[in-house]
Order: sequence, then structure tokens, then C-alpha cells
Amino acid sequence: MPYDDLRSFLETLDKEGQLLRVTDEVMPEPDIAAAANAAPRLGDAAPALYFDNVKGFTDARIAMNVHGSWANHALALGLPKETGTKEQVAEFIRRWADFPVRPEWRDNPPWGRNTMDGDEVDIFRVLPLIRLNDGDGGFYIDKAAVVSRDPGDPQNFGSQNVGIYRVEVKGKRRLALQPVPMHDIAQHLRKAEERGEDLPVALALGNDPVISIVASTPMKYDENEYEMAGALRGAPAPITRAPLTGLPVPWGSEVVVEGVIEGRRREIEGPFGEFTGHYSGGRKMTVIRIDRISYRTEPVFEHLYLGMPWTEIDYLMGPNTCVPIYQQLKQDFPEVQAVNAMFTHGLVVIVSTKKRYGGFAKAVGMRVLTTPHGLGYAATVIVVDEDVDPFNLPQVMWALSTKMNPAGDLIRIPNMPVMELAPQADAPGIVDKLIIDATTPTGSDRRGNFSNQVKDLPETGEWLTRLHQLAARR
Amino acid sequence: MAASSICPRCAHETVETVFTSPVPGVWDVLQCRQCLYMWRTTEPARRTRRDLYPEKFRMTPEDIEAAIEVPLVPPLLDPR
Repeated sequence: MPYDDLRSFLETLDKEGQLLRVTDEVMPEPDIAAAANAAPRLGDAAPALYFDNVKGFTDARIAMNVHGSWANHALALGLPKETGTKEQVAEFIRRWADFPVRPEWRDNPPWGRNTMDGDEVDIFRVLPLIRLNDGDGGFYIDKAAVVSRDPGDPQNFGSQNVGIYRVEVKGKRRLALQPVPMHDIAQHLRKAEERGEDLPVALALGNDPVISIVASTPMKYDENEYEMAGALRGAPAPITRAPLTGLPVPWGSEVVVEGVIEGRRREIEGPFGEFTGHYSGGRKMTVIRIDRISYRTEPVFEHLYLGMPWTEIDYLMGPNTCVPIYQQLKQDFPEVQAVNAMFTHGLVVIVSTKKRYGGFAKAVGMRVLTTPHGLGYAATVIVVDEDVDPFNLPQVMWALSTKMNPAGDLIRIPNMPVMELAPQADAPGIVDKLIIDATTPTGSDRRGNFSNQVKDLPETGEWLTRLHQLAARR
Repeated sequence: MAASSICPRCAHETVETVFTSPVPGVWDVLQCRQCLYMWRTTEPARRTRRDLYPEKFRMTPEDIEAAIEVPLVPPLLDPR
């Protein structure tokens, strides 16, 4: 059964032992962020956290780390919580094949019951905002699905965008938003600003878990996130029109904030501890004026801590970064077996592939750099043989330690594009990229002394199953 | 709680109260009018006191002036 809202997913997490309720009184800072910082360190089955006794608040409900473990990510996709990482990515790939699934328009969203308009808007009265990291310039909203449309093509449902962007709270009805130039909303904003117009936006907070996954998936400009949510859920995504802007927003959200990015205006923002594990800012960023907030009675504030990886964001945008790169490589190179792009949203990408002929693995590595997502990420690409599992890092290290000869296996390509938050770039946005060929040379590439590789014994698979069964019976 | 403190980040002296705790008297949320830093009065001292605020996170009027635009404001299509 797909989830239509955050609340029903929290109930499932609770039943599955994946929601930890912190009932003792906590300080808004530093407790909530520090707990969410710590939670993923509990391991692959780390729980989500729920706080409702926060000092100074009378009515706060804060959910953290909702996607922050492999167990929770599996449950978000409706899979058993024990499902392994590679299997979750494989299932994601299978479901992607059903894209697009048209959304289901519904009326009377539960967030329509309470509203604030115009000058009465005060976001502090709706959300129990908290600071995440020491150097952050203020309180951030970093898990909202931000909806916008192409001002030059407003009726095109495909080019409407749902994305997660960093949003700083600047006042009762004022926010800042970071549109990374490589992301779709930046294209919408540029078109609006070229016309001297504001860009209407809707921020949907506290969503069913698949909305957060698709909103952080690197999809093509004309691919619609709700249609992808339908494919992943196995049922149409329930959406509705936001009352002020008419933008399509999730029917089941906790809170919907509407307003405009004020055209041609920039104001100091940040810094903010980013998904790279480094702060970025302060820079002059866009300004949002909030014109309306709609919210459920007793809304739950779903929030995300990010810091030194791994934190929740790495689970949220790990599998969904692997899948599009895999699909795009597979179109040209059916030899590709699997893609692991889970490290810092794909700044490192590991690909396993069969080889057609000598030099083939290097060509696959170069193709990674020219995929739409690889252009702005993929600073290092590691290519391994087809029998190496790219999700099994000890195997990848084995490939690096025995198959890779720096004399011929390192390809450095100077002055390539990278998203501006990549800290290793000398000039933001430009970096040298590296392809590491850690495959066994083949065909006319006769380098190395590989003789024969030891392969798993043919009976090993059966024994693995048998050992699992024996171990389970103990 | 009076908004009398200076900004921990840029030492500007105009600080505004943005929000007060729903339970009266527990905390205020303050904001600097110069660098827009926002903080809650009950946060750890390293975030709320100028003398303890880390050097690496401090900001000056020159920093604000020199901050780059992200993204750049594009030229108007049809200049009026």
C-alpha cells in the first residue's frame, strides 16, 4: 500500500520499530540537530526520530531522519526493511520502467483547513524552526518539495518542477532559496527574471516519503516528478492545486507555503552546512515573499539534518542518483551491469561493466562524465569488471589494488564543469575530472600480468544460502 | 527578553526580535539587521556570544558587499 502522506508513513515506521519517540524535554538547539546527527550512526537500521516535548514550544512536532537508514529507505519504497542496498537500487530501476504514471487530482487537501494570508503570515507560528549546524546563518527548511513552472511554457506539465532546495528563513514572511544553476528551478527563474517578472513558487513540507525521493532525483528537464512518484509508488500520486498560485502540490502535505521568488532581487544568505560536508555561503541569493501558508491542524514539521556524511541526505539521494546514470549508460552500453553513485550525490561514481574490446571501460567512464547529472557531478569515475559489485566497497578496493596501473589507467580531463558547491575546485564550478580504469585489460590491451583470476567456486552460491539458513536456526 | 545584544557574527548593534517562545519568557529569536544572522537566545554560547563566536564564521560589512550573486541576475530581454 503506497503512503498518501507523512503521517501514515510515520505509523508504519512506528509499527516496524523504526520510529524512536524522544519524550523527554529537549532544547530546540543543540539537541534536535545533534540527535539527528547521531541517529544514522546507529547503523543500517537506524530509526527516524520524533520530538514533541521541545522547550519553549507548546505545540511542536518534529520528525527527523525519516529516510535516514537503509531500513527506512526500503520501507519508503514499500519493501521489507531488511532489503539490501543493491536490491533497493535494482527495484528502483524496475519501477522506473513504469514512468510516467499520471497523477490523481484530488480535492479538499487536509492542509486546506488552516490558512494565513498576506500580512498575517508568520512562518514561526506554524513551524517549530531549529538551527542545524553551528555556522548556519539561521534556521533552514531543507526537505520541502519546491514546486515551480516554466514561465515560458506554463501549461506544460512535464516541465513543471518539484525539487528540494536549501531555504533559509529570513523573517515572518521572507525566505531565501538557492537555485543551483544546473537545476530546473534556476531555468524557470532565469526566464522569469529576463522578463522582469517574479516566479511563483509553492513549498510543500511534510510529504509522503516517495515525494521526497523523487524531488531529490536528478531527472531530465521535461520529466515530471509526480509521474515518477506514481511509477515508484505503483499507484498515481495524489496531487491538488495550491489555492493561491495554482501550482500542483502533493495532496497529503502537512504545510503548503505559497509566494514568489522576487524577480531580480538578491540578498545575503548563509552560510549553510551542505551535503558536501562543507559550509557554503554567504552569497547573495534569491528572496521569497510568502503570501499564504496553508496547514493541517497540528502539523508535523519534517526536517533533515545534514553534515559530515553519512547523514539522512545520503540515504535520501543515494539510490535515486544511481538509477538515472545507470539508465543513461545502459542505452548506449548494454554491457554496464550496475552503477553506484551514492557518494555525495555522485561526485564519485563506480560502474561495473563487461568489456567489448580493449579500452572499452575507459569509454564507459567518459560517457559517465557526459550524462546530464555527471556533467555537474562525477568528479571521479571508477570502472570495475562485471564480476565486481560496485556496492561492495571491499571488492572495489580489491579491483583498485590489483587491476589499476597508474601508468595507463588514470585519465585526467582538465577544466570540466562541476556544481559550484564542490569544495575541491580551485575556481568554483570548474574542476579536473578523473577516470580510474580498474578493470582487467582485454583484447588488444595486453598490459599487466593477470594470468588467471580466482573465481568463486560454482557451489559457493548454494553454500551461502545454506549458511544463512543454518545461522538463522541458531 | 530584551533584544539588547550585539550580533555575534558581525557585531552590528541593531538586533531585532523576530519571534518569542510560545511558553512566555523561555527564549526569543533575534536577527541582525546588517548580516541577517538569526539565532535563539537559548542556543549554546558559541552561537550567541560575540566573544565566543568562532572566527571562521564571522562576517564583516565588506564580506557582505563582496558576496557574489547566485545565480547572477540575467539581462532583461526587452529593456525598457
